[in-house]
Amino acid sequence: MEEKLVISSSPHIKGPKTVRGIMLDVIIALIPACLASLILFGWKALLIIMASVASAVASEALYEKAVKREVTVGDLSAVITGILLAMTLPPNVPLWIPVIGSAFAIVIAKQIFGGLGCNFVNPALAGRAFLLAAWPMHMTRDWLNPLTYDAVTSATPLAVLKGTGQGTLPGIKDFLLGVRLGSLGETSVLALLLGGIYLIARGVIDYRIPLGFLGTLFVGTLVFGKPGAFFQGDGVLAILAGGAILGAFFMATDYVTSPVTARGRLYMGIGAGFITLLIRLWGGYPEGVTYGILLMNLVTPLIDRFVVPRYYGYAHDRAAKEAAAGGR
Amino acid sequence: MKRSLFHDFIKGFVEENPTFRLVIGMCPTLAVTTSVVNGFWMGVAVIFVLTFSNVFVSLLRKSIPDDIRIPVFVILIATPVVIVELVMRAYLPAMYEILGIFVPLIVVNCIIIGRAEAFAYHQPVLNSLMDGLGIGAGYTINLMVIGGIREFLGTGQITIGSVSFPGTPLFEPAAVMLTPPGGFITLGLLMAALNIAVARSENRKKARRAA
Amino acid sequence: MISLKRTSGGVRVDDKKDLSAGSPIEPAGIPGELVLFLSQHTGAPSKPVVKVQDLVKRGQLLAEPQGAISAALHAPTSGKVKAIEPRYHPIQGRLVDAIVLEPDGKNEVFEGVVPRARDLDSISGEEIIAFVREIGLVGLGGAAFPTAVKLTPPADKPIDTYLLNGAECEPYLTSDYRLMLEEAEVVIFGFRALLKAARVARGIVCIEDNKPEAISAMQRAMSPFPELDLAVLPSRYPRGGEKQLIEAVLGREVPPAGLPLDVGVIVSNVGTAFTLGKAIRTGLPLVERVISVTGEGVTRPSNFLALIGTPVSYLIEKAGGFSGTPGKVIMGGPMMGISVKSLDVPVLKGTSGIVVLKKEQVKKDKMLPCIRCGRCVDACPLRLLPVWMAAYAERGLLEEAERARVLDCCECGACAYECPAKRPLVQWIRMAKSEILAKRRAQNHARK
Repeated sequence: MEEKLVISSSPHIKGPKTVRGIMLDVIIALIPACLASLILFGWKALLIIMASVASAVASEALYEKAVKREVTVGDLSAVITGILLAMTLPPNVPLWIPVIGSAFAIVIAKQIFGGLGCNFVNPALAGRAFLLAAWPMHMTRDWLNPLTYDAVTSATPLAVLKGTGQGTLPGIKDFLLGVRLGSLGETSVLALLLGGIYLIARGVIDYRIPLGFLGTLFVGTLVFGKPGAFFQGDGVLAILAGGAILGAFFMATDYVTSPVTARGRLYMGIGAGFITLLIRLWGGYPEGVTYGILLMNLVTPLIDRFVVPRYYGYAHDRAAKEAAAGGR
Repeated sequence: MKRSLFHDFIKGFVEENPTFRLVIGMCPTLAVTTSVVNGFWMGVAVIFVLTFSNVFVSLLRKSIPDDIRIPVFVILIATPVVIVELVMRAYLPAMYEILGIFVPLIVVNCIIIGRAEAFAYHQPVLNSLMDGLGIGAGYTINLMVIGGIREFLGTGQITIGSVSFPGTPLFEPAAVMLTPPGGFITLGLLMAALNIAVARSENRKKARRAA
Repeated sequence: MISLKRTSGGVRVDDKKDLSAGSPIEPAGIPGELVLFLSQHTGAPSKPVVKVQDLVKRGQLLAEPQGAISAALHAPTSGKVKAIEPRYHPIQGRLVDAIVLEPDGKNEVFEGVVPRARDLDSISGEEIIAFVREIGLVGLGGAAFPTAVKLTPPADKPIDTYLLNGAECEPYLTSDYRLMLEEAEVVIFGFRALLKAARVARGIVCIEDNKPEAISAMQRAMSPFPELDLAVLPSRYPRGGEKQLIEAVLGREVPPAGLPLDVGVIVSNVGTAFTLGKAIRTGLPLVERVISVTGEGVTRPSNFLALIGTPVSYLIEKAGGFSGTPGKVIMGGPMMGISVKSLDVPVLKGTSGIVVLKKEQVKKDKMLPCIRCGRCVDACPLRLLPVWMAAYAERGLLEEAERARVLDCCECGACAYECPAKRPLVQWIRMAKSEILAKRRAQNHARK
């Protein structure tokens, strides 16, 4: 019997957390937003989410089969990519849009670079950026009126704010509930916040990223939001309109493409908020969340290189910084 | 071992494919490959310049002093470039408008100066001629393939002269393919595919040798 | 009570202390054979002063210290020296000389074992240090560093604070907890003796907040002594690590490759203080210690007062034997302890527990790719970046690993515990450390 004792080096016990469990938590956190999209935009929303998830999972499995790698759809990360991409799509897009977007997200943005953990940009956002560049007409005009499900091509609140579209701005209550034009999952602020708070409470995401992101956007818009006058902008509206909340809680917090240190994550959030602000106020597009996060994804390795904690026992973090900089 | 002329020609297609294997001459590859026709004419211009410069570099290789060979190469390259530019302007003014700055820029194209330095400066005239033709033809095919993919997906059809092969309404054209990101994506995927193919065939060769 | 200064990292661990926390300390009894390694402790092995066939009594000197850092070894019970031969050392993983003692069962106490002092006024600091050396006292927290050496720091390193470590942050283990609960008075007496010996004015007892009963027992015992203070630590592994304790309680950081005395601190374990307190009053050297025999894999998780050298198999039997099929037997705690391949090995002075995990608990987790979640970074008590250290180590990038301060890693295992991808971070880091050190040795050798 004694021969059967396992010999290994410490630690001999491991915690209960698993990658799958974390991914499952993210999916749970997305359920309120999914439900909200169903109520607001009807069965079309369900079809888009299903098409997107199915395409993401199938692309991952097929690609891994093709290159003879282990099929890893069981880790559920592809499901999240699928849901997240669907959340960013206008509710009236043809179904091939989510299918192609998810396939691009999984194959081009994730698998080609080595799969889970190796992608350098958030796959869902890369998919969205691709769709936006490829079929801009669908991505900026295929809206549905919430609750009535009429197809409309009028301007989203952000476009109205920017002055590039005609329309009326909904009230705060409508923003919170999501009764306004917008992508599937970005409209219902309450549902998104519910999921975001769940993720923070479960320790899945770091509050610093959404805090930095939304904080920067709020303050920046407050200060510079109105041309010609400081401190006249509507910071609250900047957070409520558009995809800032979806991006801040669910996209920018993607582990693989955000920094590993707490301070780094705060900087990442601030940076993403700042770029979003730049694009919204002075850029060509009405919305900048996608590019704000994507650009910060690219900067993440730099942040990881220079934002390192002061190691225990070292007087200044210069030594540590040099160590990290030289080490990479 | 005497180098085979045929090998010098054929190596430009796969083994020393300038775009996908040597990864040189990338600026025009990305910039002008929005259609098959663009790719074709750019390729033709490069074939002419490359062959011309290869032949003359090879002819003069014994009398070009080593220390100043690069300036000499540039002169030998600039000559055919000017010829191409003037001819294009005269007979293909529309194409010249499209290719624009990238025609005069052939002067500093890495393929040309690279072949001069790496090949023609050390090889006999005939070999250099074949090298120029082969590499140039390989380059032309690359540009046409990339251009074809981008044109087809980006505009929904491929148009050569008055003939067009429509892809629509099977799918909606993806505007992104005509933009630089589309160029990078196409280039990257093709490069990966060719490298996989080459690696596989080399493995097979190795296995056969071992067996 | 001391307010905490700074705590970094650490993980919440399912501590499983309930298994044995309710079991009072009981004597384990005398096994058929005791194996006493000559190197029980950090430093040079001790030198035998007995011969094979000698008859010895409980408390009699078996081996004397050799060199500056070493410790004496005494007979845990009366009996015959059966052999002095190499035996398998569970920590060092190789054959090491040991004195094998065959107990006669009479447990006769050596004549020299007489009480030293009734109170601390009747014994001087120098005498205490000499006595500590005499009884072979070492740190009972795990590293087994000779206590007498700790008590005599170099003159240029003034010590202002003495920490008594009762954190016991390793999961499962309850030996320190039971000691504080049952023997608080002796522990405090021993702690005050340590303070007097080291001429330190302030003593702080450090306990994790998951042991409220121990806290109140210790508080009662220390209340008459104004020089003693209490620090209650949040129970997050590895808060009881020496460096972590010093940072949390005093806000000081031990420099890399330095010792607590570099920042004016000495840290001793509760068990060490208890052994000294008891020894001053009875004269009995360090021949036994409290050991938790626990884990899901034993029938009756217990806390034993066990003789040094008792075989692990004997203790497991005393704890009711295995429950189910054992998968792993660990000497020490499950986070930093060492798994043994045979139950024949004896316990050492530094063995604080024996944890038996069931076979079904010892499953090999499938390793997934790193998802860069940063949990290991948040967990590291030294604020290092395990994600990079392990990545460099995995790829054999030793120079980069060294620059990422891989040598500072204390291998507490917090990062690996937290890793959701179940990556063997500590194993990689350990590998890099040993390779870097081996390379250094080779270079030094070449230079000579």
